[in-house]
This record gives sequence, structure tokens and C-alpha cells, in this order.
Amino acid sequence: MSQVRVLGELAVLDDVGPPRRGRAYPAAGATSALLLPAAVLLGGLVLWPVLRTIHASVTTDGRWVGAEHFQTALAAPGTGAVVGRTFLWALLVPAVVTALGYLLAAASRRSQEGGLVRLILLVPVALPLVVTGVTFRLMYDPDPTRGLATLLAARLTGRPYDDAPQLLGPGLVTVALMSAFVWAWVGLAVLVFRSALDAVPSSLADAVRAYGGGRRHVLWDAQWRPLLLRTTAVVFALVAVGTSRTFDLILVMTPGSVRDEASVLALRIWQTSGGTTTGDGAALGVVWLVAVVGGIMVAALFVRQAWPPPPAEKAPEPSPVAPPRRVFRLLAAGAAVAWLVPLGVLVATSAHGRVDAAARGWWSAPPNAESYRTVVTGTELWHTLGFTLLLATAVTATVLVVALLAAYPLAWLTGPAAQATGLVLLAASVVPIQVIAGPVNEVLGLVLSSGTAQGLALVHIALGVPFAVLVLRNAFADLPVEQVRDARLGGRRWWHTLRRLARHNLSAVVAVSVLEFVQVWNDLVVGRLFSGPGASPLGPFLAEQTRSFVSNSGALAASSVLASVLPVVLIVLSRRHLVAGLVSGGVR
Amino acid sequence: MTPSVRLGRRALLRAAAASATALAAGCSGGTRSVQVAVVWSTSELDRFRDVVAHYPGDVQVVSAGNDIDAFLRARHLAGTSPDVAILPRPGLVTEYAQRGWLSPVRPSSEYAVPDGLGELLTAEGRRYGVWVKAAHKSLVWHLPSMLSEQPANWDELVALTRRLGAAARRDGGPAPLAVGAADGWVLTDWFENVLADVAPEGYNILARPKADWRAQPVRDALGRLAELWSVDGAFLGGGRRALLTQYEESVIQVVHTRRAVMLFGADFTADVVGPFQRGPEAPTTFPFPGARPGGGPLIVGGDAAVAFTGARGGVELVEWLTRADSFRPWLRAGGYLSPNTNVPISSYTDQVGQQLAREMQAPGTLRFDLSDQLPGAFTGSDGVGIWRIMQGFFADVTDGVGAGEAIRRATGELASAARSAGGGR
Repeated sequence: MSQVRVLGELAVLDDVGPPRRGRAYPAAGATSALLLPAAVLLGGLVLWPVLRTIHASVTTDGRWVGAEHFQTALAAPGTGAVVGRTFLWALLVPAVVTALGYLLAAASRRSQEGGLVRLILLVPVALPLVVTGVTFRLMYDPDPTRGLATLLAARLTGRPYDDAPQLLGPGLVTVALMSAFVWAWVGLAVLVFRSALDAVPSSLADAVRAYGGGRRHVLWDAQWRPLLLRTTAVVFALVAVGTSRTFDLILVMTPGSVRDEASVLALRIWQTSGGTTTGDGAALGVVWLVAVVGGIMVAALFVRQAWPPPPAEKAPEPSPVAPPRRVFRLLAAGAAVAWLVPLGVLVATSAHGRVDAAARGWWSAPPNAESYRTVVTGTELWHTLGFTLLLATAVTATVLVVALLAAYPLAWLTGPAAQATGLVLLAASVVPIQVIAGPVNEVLGLVLSSGTAQGLALVHIALGVPFAVLVLRNAFADLPVEQVRDARLGGRRWWHTLRRLARHNLSAVVAVSVLEFVQVWNDLVVGRLFSGPGASPLGPFLAEQTRSFVSNSGALAASSVLASVLPVVLIVLSRRHLVAGLVSGGVR
Repeated sequence: MTPSVRLGRRALLRAAAASATALAAGCSGGTRSVQVAVVWSTSELDRFRDVVAHYPGDVQVVSAGNDIDAFLRARHLAGTSPDVAILPRPGLVTEYAQRGWLSPVRPSSEYAVPDGLGELLTAEGRRYGVWVKAAHKSLVWHLPSMLSEQPANWDELVALTRRLGAAARRDGGPAPLAVGAADGWVLTDWFENVLADVAPEGYNILARPKADWRAQPVRDALGRLAELWSVDGAFLGGGRRALLTQYEESVIQVVHTRRAVMLFGADFTADVVGPFQRGPEAPTTFPFPGARPGGGPLIVGGDAAVAFTGARGGVELVEWLTRADSFRPWLRAGGYLSPNTNVPISSYTDQVGQQLAREMQAPGTLRFDLSDQLPGAFTGSDGVGIWRIMQGFFADVTDGVGAGEAIRRATGELASAARSAGGGR
């Protein structure tokens, strides 16, 4: 094992050194065969479409036009505000999530109620972002007789109900969207910080104290410098890339009249080009692509560490340090209660029939099961759930097989080659699908037909593979040499070795499977761009119903609750396995 | 690129696709049926399925939702266009026809539509689409108990709004108007009605290429809207709140919570009313008031059926849809207005339906929804085009911006949006 601990600092993973040599290399021919499926998928459905998009951004009907599309797109009215807002999202929201995540992770450590707090914070992470949007739109309903937040805001500011502050109005809509996003993502940050804090050896803190260091010195020298700096960078980058997902929230939460005030690049590209990628839309897409890929590269190089950072190898010994101060514990408990409120609003609304939910608000009418009866007795929801289950299962299984095959030979790369592979995979896993939708459709038209279940599955697979390969490659590369040797001696062929390795890496395999499954289950964008009749997944199904939000809120809330059960259960049950995978950047 | 290279890439991609294909759910049926892509969803989709159940052949109806344009483009790229599509805008019909995607259609002998509608679906002298569903967009809804006397012309409507608005502000009575201004099409429908009334000639000119959106008719129509919309207390909760109200919520405000008296809306408002009606009192309608009593505008919208090039059985299905009795199941269920003037008035089961059909069939000044005829992005969707511009205008005049300034802003934006969509000058 090449990991050397220097003052608690974990050495660069990919600097694997001599012990790795002479391991179970698959033969050169086998290597190519193993890499082929992943390479074909990435080449055909990610790399080629990216090149096509770049090409489309500088040409019109194949004719070179230079920067003309960029000038037109950037000069269009409102584009400056859109770009500015996109950057605001990518800087402000990660800062808030990171800070809150650290605070709550520290505050919920080593206390009895801490586990429960973290569990509550984790639930929103698992929800489809469409459901988060539905939940917050219910809370922020502009009518104080229905919207809890609007009611409270009117009371707090002492305004009459008719003049209540409008959280979804043009002035505050971005704040409202950001609050929903923070709610959904803080649990993830807490999870990562918790594992980082646990990985910091407590002996280090003791050493600092022994030299007369106070609380602040412990934080700085025993936590921040050895590990938290990197973790913060990872969480920040993760959330920043994740903000490209605001698209889902904007579509669900904003009424048409404020969509401009909420617009970010993702939405602007959607509005400019729809499902095709041409001219101005392609130019905006390239701008966005460069920002996202550039951002993640800078973060990765800044961290200067293979992705992901190593998981804690053994359970940390029980710490002699006392639980956090009372005020921090109260903070954690308060956060848990606050995080429960939106969930409560969603469930309460779902427990009302169509008329009550639309006309009275959930707190002024007794609950009943009418909405559930409506959606459960109808066939549409079941059909959608069944299709989505099948789709997510098929995609997860395929991604796992393709990624296991590819990760195996890649894990034995060393030095610059390993670093380069890591960066390429990282870049591929953050390419926003809206940017390359048009060319992807062209490719799908060649091999299948777009708008079919197979086409939809193929896009999901191509988008899921880079991240899965990355996680599995790192997990394989991180195996103790004895285990590899055992596997090699026990297995007669390389695939036996692979099988044994996969078994030894159960955590990584579970993390990849659960994340991919939940990713597909919760998806809106891919479904919207590539689904068709007979292939309608959950995300578009729910989002379509928000077009008549108020008159339909009871049934929509009930469908949302039913749609969220599976991802929440999966994420909660597998949360310990997930840490390793999540740290490495569970976003595309 | 050489053919062999292309073949190689195809083969590779096919191989990659094979695993996914084997696993993913294939929903294709065995025998070949006629595939129809429609904009409708939920109850309208069910009704249409009832209709085609009586077609002699097998018909597969797929709902493409509101993004039917993007859907059809993607399917065309992939070479899997449906046989028939039902499109929400005539602009799409002519656009597809000019690209050569459509095959000409011939309606049945029982098909006749009001003047001016048929030619919207022709390109280069050939008919590429037929109307299958109409929407009457010149109605004002209210509960009989909430309004004793219906305004007969525009000035009476303004006076009534002033009176009710003052009462609402004084003692918290119901607001005169509910409006779902969060949905841009509600406001463009207002604009079109007023425009058709103040400038009948100007209306048709604006639908043509190179129209002048700063011209007098547009300013007159906007001025008239500003006169009503700027009335103090005209809208429930004020303009800012109205801009966050979706159309269906505005219906609830009139028929259920009764916090507003009147609602301007199309005939399909009846579908929303159903579940929210309190007691036996059903809402009633009066025609959108024009300048003269009894001389109001009549704006209609509609959905058109087209057949794609090379479709099997597409042209035949389109022909069948134009027969006078094809849509009988939907007529019986209610919520359907036929564009076909040969459908007898007696086939409508309710009085409102009969009344609307009578107005549609009367020869006169019927006009087709203007925003649906506009080119490219100008036609509007959430946050885009004329929808967005009318919302900006609404926000201005309800927020105390002077009518002159608001009109200047709106016409400037209209002209520039028309220009960049390739339709204005």
C-alpha cells in the first residue's frame, strides 16, 4: 500500500509507486476489449456531441462565421443578467451550502441526537429536484391562505394579506429558488464533512493541545490544514457544478411571468434552442460548457488529489473529546426542525382533496385521503412509476457492467496517465446535457430512434458511465496489494480477478449503483429532452402537472410523495456506503 | 467522410446500443397501427381516444404535450415521424409544409369551416391541414348571483369595473376581475379581442410578414387595455399578485372562493369549473364587450390535423376526422367545440355549447388567434415572445406607469421581437 500518512495528510492516491507493478494486468487485447463499451458510449454520446456543438457555435449551415453567434447571443437583451445570475448561483449557493454543511456536521458530531439530525438532513438529498420544487412552491404560494411562508412573512412584516411579500415575485424569486436548492443540498455537505472530520486523527488535536493550542488552533492546525481545506474545496466544487441543476427548480417553481427574472444559462439555452443545437444556442452552450468544465478542472487541480479523496480506512476510535457546546447542539436541532417543515407541508397538502388544497390551504381543512385515492386508482402514475423503475434498473445494471469492465484496466495506470484519465472522466461527468442535446439526438437517430425507451436509456447510460468509472477505478487502485494477490491467485483468469475485486469493493459498487439508480429515477432534463410517447419517466410526468399548479396541488403533492419513497429509502439505507462515492462528485 | 467510415461508426454505435436495447422496455406493438401525436393530455387525451376508437383501423394516440414542436423535430431528425399530428398552431403547419415534411390532405365532403380559417393551413396553394377542434376565445364568465347586469359594451365594462373596484377597496367586497396573468396567453387573448374590435383591418395585417408593430392599431388596442387594467382595485390582490396567478387559479377565484366577479376566458373554462363549482349555481357567460352593443369581437383558436410525408394511413385518418359525426363521443361528453360548420347545433348537449356553436357558424367577423400565427419565438411561451411582452405591459399599467410610457415600451419590444423572429420591420 502506497499511502503514507504525513501528519494525518493522505498522500496522493494515484501516486501508486512500485508495489502496483506486476499486478493482474489484463492482456493488451483484453484491455481494449474491456475499455471498448465505455469508450464507444463516451465517444459517441458525449465527446462527438461536444465537438458538434462547438462546431455549430462557429458555423451557420456548415459555413464558418467565427464569433458571430457568440456576439449575437451575448448581445441579446437580458443575456448579461442571465450570465451574472448563473455565476451568482455558482458562487453564493456553494458558499452557503459549504458553510452550513460544516457547521451542522460539527454540531451534530458525538451527540445523541446527532444521528437523527443527519438523517433528517439527508432526506431532501434523495428527493427528486422536481419534488423539491413542488414542495417549495407550495410553501411560497403567493396566497397567504395557502402558502405558509407567505403567511408568516405577512405576519412578520405586519402587512395586510392582500399586500403580503411575494416570495415568488420578480424581486425575490431567485432567493426563493436558492433556498430550495440549499435545503436540498446541505445534507450532502454534512455527510461529506462528517466523514472528513472522522478521518482527522484525534491524536493530532491532542498534539496541538499538548503544545498549548486553544480551540482555534485545534481547528486550524488539526482540522483545517490537514483535511478540511480540501474537503471544503471538493464540496464547493460539487455544489457549484450541481447548480447547473437549477433548471429543474426554475421550470417547476416559477410562474411564467417571472421566468425571465429567474433565468440562468441552462434555461436560456433551453428557450433559445429547445431540443436542437444551433447557432446562438450552441454559442451559449459552449460558454456554459467552458465555465463548468473549467471550474471543475481548477477545483480538481487546486485540490491536487486524485478523485475521490480516500475514505477513512478504519472506524475512528471513540473520541475522548466532549460533545459540542450546547449552543451548537441547539443549532443542529433547530436546523433539523426547519428542514422538516417543507416535508411536512408537502405531506399535509397531499392529505387534502383537490378543492381543499386549491381553495383553503392545508391547515384549515381536516385531512383526508382523496388525493391519494385519485392518483392510486388512476393508471397513469403506476404506469409512469413502473416504466421509471424498469428504466432506472436497466440503466444502473448496464452502467455498472460497462464501468466495472473499464475501471479494471484503468486502475493499473500510474503517474500522468492516471491523472489525465481522471481529469477526462471528471470533465465528461459534468457536461451539461442541454448543451449537447441536438447532436445526441442525431447520434440516437443513427443507432436507434430518439424518443424511444431505448434511446432514453442509452443517454442515461452514457452520462452515468464516466462518474461510475471514476469511482470504481479509484476504488480498485486503492485496494491493498494482498487482496489483489489473493484475488489473482484464487482466480484463474482476469475476469475471476475482476469478480473478486468487485466483491472486495462492495462499498464502491453499492455507491455507484444507488447513485445511478437515484439519478435516473429523479431525472427531469434527460427525460424532457429524450423521452417520447410510451417512454414517459417520472420527472417530466410530475413537471408537466405543474402547469396548472394550484388547481392540481393535492394530487401533485400525493404523486410527489409516492414518487419520493423509493429514492429516500435507498439513500438512507445505503448512506454509509455512499460517503466514498459521494465525496467524489455525484453530479453530472 | 467516406461511407465505410460512416458504416463503421454506425456498427459500433449499434453494438453499444444492443445491450441497452435488450434491457430497456420496448413498447412497440406487433401490428402496424396509425400513430397520432397530439398536444392534448389528461381528460382531453382520453376524449380523443374515445373518438378514434370508432375509426375502422387501429389508431395509436401518443401525447407529446406542449412541446410537440420539439418532439416532432426530434422525431423527424431520427426518421421516426408519426403518421398524423395534431398541432396547436397554424404557423407550425405552414412551417412544416414548407420544409417538405407534410403530405397534402383532402378533407371529407362534410367539412366546412368559417371564412378565413381554411387558408391558414395552406402553403403554395395546397391544403396541408384540417381543423379538428376550435376554441371560442371571446367570453366573459361570471356567476349569475354575483353580477346582476352584464355590460353591453366596452364603456359599460370599464364603468362596472370602476364601481366594483371602488367597492372592493372600500369594504373588502369581491374584486371586479380575476386574471391568470402568470400565463402569457391569457393576456395575448385580451389584446387580440380588443385589437379585433378597435382595428379589424389592422388585426389581419399584423399576422402577415413585415407588419408594423408600432402602428396606430396596436397603440389604440394597448391604450384601451390600459384604460381597464389601470383601474384601481380592478384585479384581485392587485397586478403583482395577478402576475403570479395561473389561469386555472383565476377560475377558482370566480367560481369557488368568489373573491372576484368576472373572468375573461375561453370556452374550455368549463372544464376547469367542474370540480370547483359550489352548489348548483353554474357560471354563465357574456360576449367580450366591443365598442358598440352587440358588436363585440370573435376570436377563435384551434388545433389542426396534418399527415406526414410517407405516412401510411395518415391521409385517410385525417379525412375521417373531418367527417361531421367523427367527434360525436367528445361532443356528447362536453368541452368540445367543432370548427366544422356542418356539425349540427343539436349535437351539442348543453346550452352554452349550442350558443357558442351558433356564434361560430354565423357568417361574420370571426378572427383566428393572432399570437398563434406569429413567427418563431415571437409566438410566445413562458418567459418568451409576445407572452412576456404583454406581461411586462400588464405589470407596468397595474403598477402606476402612465399609459403613454407603457405603450411606448410595449410597442418597442413588440417591434424588436417581431424583427428578430423574422416577421416585423
